Amino acid sequence: MRAMDKNKAQKVRRAVGLTLMYLFMTLLAVILLFPYMFMLLRSLMLDSQVMLYPVELWPEPFSFTAYVTLFTANNYFGYFLQTAKVVVFNLIAIPLSASFVAYGFSKYRFRGKRFFFSLMMATMMLPGVVVQIPLYVLFNDFGWLDSLLPLTIPNLFGGGAIYVFLIRQYMIGIPKELEEAAKIDGANPLVRYFSITLPLCMPVLTFIMVTVFNANWSDFYTPLLYLSKEGTETLAYAIFKDSLYKFVTPDKANLKMAAGVFMSVFPAVLFLVFQKQLIEGISTSALKG
Amino acid sequence: MRIKTDKGVSGGGKVNAFLAFLKKEWRMSWAGWMFISPLVIGIAVFTAYPMVQSLIYSFYNYDGGRLFEFNGIANFRYMFGLDFEEVAKVFGNTFLYGIISVPLNLCLSYLLAVLVNQKIHAVKAFRVFYYLPVVIPGVVSGVIWSQIMDPSSQGVLNLFLGKFGIPPSGFFATAPTALASAIVMNLWGLGGGMVLWLAALKNIPAGLYEAARIDGAGVFRRFFFITVPLSTPMIFYNLVTGIIGAMQTNNTMVFASDGGRGPKDSLYFIAVKIYNEAFIAKDFGYASALAWVLFIVIAVLTAVTFLTSKWVYTGDE
Repeated sequence: MRAMDKNKAQKVRRAVGLTLMYLFMTLLAVILLFPYMFMLLRSLMLDSQVMLYPVELWPEPFSFTAYVTLFTANNYFGYFLQTAKVVVFNLIAIPLSASFVAYGFSKYRFRGKRFFFSLMMATMMLPGVVVQIPLYVLFNDFGWLDSLLPLTIPNLFGGGAIYVFLIRQYMIGIPKELEEAAKIDGANPLVRYFSITLPLCMPVLTFIMVTVFNANWSDFYTPLLYLSKEGTETLAYAIFKDSLYKFVTPDKANLKMAAGVFMSVFPAVLFLVFQKQLIEGISTSALKG
Repeated sequence: MRIKTDKGVSGGGKVNAFLAFLKKEWRMSWAGWMFISPLVIGIAVFTAYPMVQSLIYSFYNYDGGRLFEFNGIANFRYMFGLDFEEVAKVFGNTFLYGIISVPLNLCLSYLLAVLVNQKIHAVKAFRVFYYLPVVIPGVVSGVIWSQIMDPSSQGVLNLFLGKFGIPPSGFFATAPTALASAIVMNLWGLGGGMVLWLAALKNIPAGLYEAARIDGAGVFRRFFFITVPLSTPMIFYNLVTGIIGAMQTNNTMVFASDGGRGPKDSLYFIAVKIYNEAFIAKDFGYASALAWVLFIVIAVLTAVTFLTSKWVYTGDE
């Protein structure tokens, strides 16, 4: 009898604990998601409502005027195209270039291998600010200012140490036998890289592509340096610029929010589609070094 | 005669041997070299060359155009002389931000990871909710938060806090609260750290917990004697990347007033000052000098972190 009471008490305690846990987790989710809702709701307000104090949260009436203004009175479609060009180029260039280099590091023995690998890892620690000024001068000399070349061409050379490192870790885990068979059949190193090893790396490449998308999609700083001419701006840089100089008065807050919603939709959808690879991808690849 | 030919033969032998060595080296290494050649070119052109260049610039008076004249250590004298007050201010701000923000993010994202690492219903959905803010571009989150943290007493966060009797705050608009607001805003991205922690937690063998439980270790003992020690590589990784990242923070340009300075320079970080000196004031020489000082500071901080990393569990012992 007493044992049963004890059991029951324990069960009740666990249920209460679990409920509290869920309450806490939901509260946290509400706090973390509130800024999204805030942005979305205020992007749907009219100028006359968005400027009111005390701040209102519910649009009355719901209106898409802010979005219409972005794409008609402002060049947001043009900015989007600029960003799309950069992103598409880098989505192809970075995985290809990084896996090419990683293939050398993981499958071949050669003189200087350890030296170059350490050198590459050292560049990961290097702060970008040290190289940004001479790079600006260099790209200026090349005549690359106000073009997308500074945002794309440098990525053809390895695409970033962290990506090379992640792919190398992954390639080391691929059994040698697959390569050996192709070698006996007379396939040269380029063919073996492209048609055997590369397709096997899809999981890590997917992870890298999502990361590359997010990094390039949201980068406002590099375009700020290189794209000063009107009409060359990327989306992130345009939002940065407009929120500082154009959409400043309180009645323009809906435009800021609409631009934010437009810009966040793509990475958010991408994340929801690839969330498994993203969350699991980090767990399998990030921490082996 | 005979001696001469002998000499000739042995000389030719040396050349031949060298050629054979080269041939052997080439045969062994060519494929590897071919694959890493883009990287080597990239490091030379986009890293090594600019690094040397910026070191040279730092000893010049250079405006990015025609003006390019050697001026010795004048840039550094200015940095530690006339401009010292501002330099100290921006480094102070950056350090303060890093010292609070990095450990705070580390701890809170850890707790978040522990929370969503439980085997309970719908936990995956919560992982998605907590990670979602991370995918929001930095510019956008800057714009959102400067709206939420509206300094007006009728702004949304002030209205909310007012319900709990908390007096309205100036947030980014007043000097004492600006840095704290930036730190709080940064917490929105906790999900990024959470995901890395989840990876570390998953790598801890479940058997260890079983054994500890059988030995009678409670929740706290298991946490401090298994979870924490086995997570140290992750803590270390987060610490290093966190320090390097925090020292280069420039997202204040989005929401801080006066071109990223904030009220009374309270949000003025070193990376933003370097940008201003180079691309607004067109003083490439001085900006390069500042960049090199920042580089040395980061290198020292990273080295100290590495040298004091005895506490990191490497798996060998």
